[in-house]
Amino acid sequence: MGLVNNTKKVMNKITLKLKGMHCASCASSIETATRNISGVASGNVNFASEEVAIEYDALKTSPATIQKVIKDIGYEAVLPEQVSEDTDKKARLTETQDLTRKVWVGGIIGVILVIGSVPMMTGLSIPIIPDWLHNPWLQLALAFPVQIWCGSSFYIGAWKAFKNHTATMDTLIALGTLAAFSYSITVTLNPNFFISQGLQPEVYYEVSVVVITLILLGKLFENRAKGETSEAIRKLMGLQAKTARVLRDGKESDIPIEEVEIGDVVLVRPGEKIPVDGEAIAGNSTVDESMVTGESIPVEKKVGDRLIGATINKAGSLQIKASHIGKDSVLSQIVQLVKDAQGSKAPIQRLADRVTGWFVPVVISIAIATFVIWFEIMGNVTLATISAVGVLIIACPCALGLAAPTSIMVGTGKGAENGILIKDAGSLELAHKIQTIVLDKTGTLTEGKPVVTDIFSTNKNDDELLKLVAAIERNSEHPLAEAIANFAKQKNITISEVTDFIAIAGSGVQGKVDNSLVQIGTRRWMDELKIDTSGLHQYQDAWETGGKTVVLIAVDNAASGLIGIADKPKSSSQMAVAALQKMKIEVVMLTGDNQSTAEAIAREVGIKRVFAGVRPDQKVEKIRELQAEGKVVAMVGDGINDAPALAQADVGLAIGTGTDVAIAASDITLISGDLQGIVTAIQLSRATISNIQQNLFFAFIYNVLGILIAAGILYPIWGWLLNPIVAGGAMALSSLSVVSNALRLRGFHPSVSK
Amino acid sequence: MKKLTGILLSMGLSVGIVSSMSAQEMKHNSAKFQPIEQPITLRVAIAIGGLSLMVTQLWWFLGSKPKSQKAKISDGVQEVTITVDGGYVPSLVTVKRGQPVRLQFNRRDPSSCLEKVLFPDFHVAQDLVLNQTTPVEFTPENIGLFQFSCGMGMFHGAIAVEE
Repeated sequence: MGLVNNTKKVMNKITLKLKGMHCASCASSIETATRNISGVASGNVNFASEEVAIEYDALKTSPATIQKVIKDIGYEAVLPEQVSEDTDKKARLTETQDLTRKVWVGGIIGVILVIGSVPMMTGLSIPIIPDWLHNPWLQLALAFPVQIWCGSSFYIGAWKAFKNHTATMDTLIALGTLAAFSYSITVTLNPNFFISQGLQPEVYYEVSVVVITLILLGKLFENRAKGETSEAIRKLMGLQAKTARVLRDGKESDIPIEEVEIGDVVLVRPGEKIPVDGEAIAGNSTVDESMVTGESIPVEKKVGDRLIGATINKAGSLQIKASHIGKDSVLSQIVQLVKDAQGSKAPIQRLADRVTGWFVPVVISIAIATFVIWFEIMGNVTLATISAVGVLIIACPCALGLAAPTSIMVGTGKGAENGILIKDAGSLELAHKIQTIVLDKTGTLTEGKPVVTDIFSTNKNDDELLKLVAAIERNSEHPLAEAIANFAKQKNITISEVTDFIAIAGSGVQGKVDNSLVQIGTRRWMDELKIDTSGLHQYQDAWETGGKTVVLIAVDNAASGLIGIADKPKSSSQMAVAALQKMKIEVVMLTGDNQSTAEAIAREVGIKRVFAGVRPDQKVEKIRELQAEGKVVAMVGDGINDAPALAQADVGLAIGTGTDVAIAASDITLISGDLQGIVTAIQLSRATISNIQQNLFFAFIYNVLGILIAAGILYPIWGWLLNPIVAGGAMALSSLSVVSNALRLRGFHPSVSK
Repeated sequence: MKKLTGILLSMGLSVGIVSSMSAQEMKHNSAKFQPIEQPITLRVAIAIGGLSLMVTQLWWFLGSKPKSQKAKISDGVQEVTITVDGGYVPSLVTVKRGQPVRLQFNRRDPSSCLEKVLFPDFHVAQDLVLNQTTPVEFTPENIGLFQFSCGMGMFHGAIAVEE
């Protein structure tokens, strides 16, 4: 370990599952072989667990190489993901097969028993049903295998849980069916006792058989449905290309995606999937990025543009230099983010969580109370037993426990499909409460690509002024500065050296060029510097009313000109703002620009409330002000400047391929720059939360009503008593319907406003 | 699957017919559950028996505290193996703050309830493979008691984070 730290190499660790080892000497030969690979720092075989733990330098070797070396000496090494995927699938399949068999056996026997019990239950004599079908001994013989074989999982589960002081679903089913079964056995063995009590010696074997079968059947459907809830993740992972065509030493070769290294040149033909993240170094094309960004219009790509793995190259051929592979790729990060979100819990779920903790013991208590109360009132053991069994069977804590997490799983997955990454369930929940949305102007509402549109100089020499200004602005990272520098470049103006460069955030920049002091900034700053710019104000006012950002220029403390810069609003801005306002959400614009520029842009996109002239460090303060008005505030922005404001807002939305900082500070990340994503995110949040509410409401109401009715609360009024078989059916359907309701979210489609 | 749906339907149908018949019959003829005079001693015995059974099971399931196990530190990672078999053993793990934690979940129970373990506070939802050990890793940054549970919230465990 010390060596690793000293050399400061990035060491990767991997554990491979081994197959084909017979003895300890196999283990040592694998160890020797792996340690001899160049780039492998250590290789340790655990014979008992059949694993080899390897530390390797990712720049020198790859898991695929190591696997190959192990294979060459006669063993097989499998990546852990492959193992778990395989065994997981196998386990699921055997479980399904086992359940199917049990359902068949239970189903057939159940139908026979139910038919046999019809005449007895109804008191009618139906000639086509032979009498011997109702022989209690025959019924016992039929029910017994179902009880001990089909129902075994419940009894084993209940017993194990019992030993751990836990009561679960299994406990309820085991108690319920055992009670019905043992009551029936008592009747079968000793019918005279019941007759002497004035009771009919009836058996209820069909109850436990049908209940067991129905619940197993429900489980079967539920398993299948649950598999679909994680479909989104599987879909995302399935997007990954399997191979890449790389250019190494002037030769093209197709290699597995795991073997691509950073810096490799990858060739992509038209129609092919882009295998890795990287930068285009040759060719140009359009790329369909919809699977990652949710944006349906293909994006133009030329040399220097960033490409995302798993997107599809449309028209032209491209050469890409791989920049991010494996875990660092955009796709892997998206998968990780979605997984993280699916593992989190929504606050809305807290009540349900508290309830499930003591649900089962309380239901058992209610069942016992039901038995005792009916016995005390009526003295009738049959009535008391049936209602107690009904209570045990109908109660369904699983519906409560599944209600929120399944919806969250589907909702976050659906988000990823639409290019919306949600950090956790809490953010998803808060997003539906948003009352005010604050939009940062530059880069969020606008393209973020400002262009110089006007220039004016007092001495009528625009190029001379531009030369001075561009020299200063070249040193600044401000987007406006970039616009000016680009403008000068276009005009082929040679730029001089700058000394004493200073940037004052929110005010301007200054520096010395050709021995003159050049200051570029806001009117407020000029006033602070006591520079008279009154001669320029008429131009400034006119340009600003046109939505342009204006910077004033002073050379050697004398006003000498101004530049107007325009940043076009995104085409989606106006539509998105209108859609948000239609959703009764107040839209506020936040910008460092002055009032008249800001208002011009705001008018264009339809925003009524504007915070102008806000310096970057004041953004947080503005968010706090809005929150103090008692509103749930969302902030949409990009860039490092916005990170604190994103964190301060109740919900922070980072937009576009924002910087990593913004993504980390944000609750929701919109991968594409399209503002329509905000609308979609809120719609998705609303849809998911109402889905959870439906589920929770259903689960609570179902349990409360179900338990009361099963306990026989309606019996004194209408003579209604729930047949435990119906209780079993209801219970099997309840958790299934919760999962199915959550799956309805898969049909969510963002409704685009006109 | 079609056949199964068939079974479900036929069962549902027969159950429906039977239960509606029996419901009708119950309405007409409440003779099915006639009140029966029971000796007072039996009634008292049932009441007392029921009550004590209620209390006993509540105490067993809710009243008993799980034993805590401290995590062992190796290579700077706090590690504990948790056996998943009708619950989590140990179900309370004590760890130190700020140090990475690796919980090795060894799932031995085929029950589908236990196929997933959730740590909502650490944003972990991990599928556990049957008869295998699946690690769950996170670093606790805050002191407190953090619950974890199975996918349906039936089985519970907790991580106690100390200074």
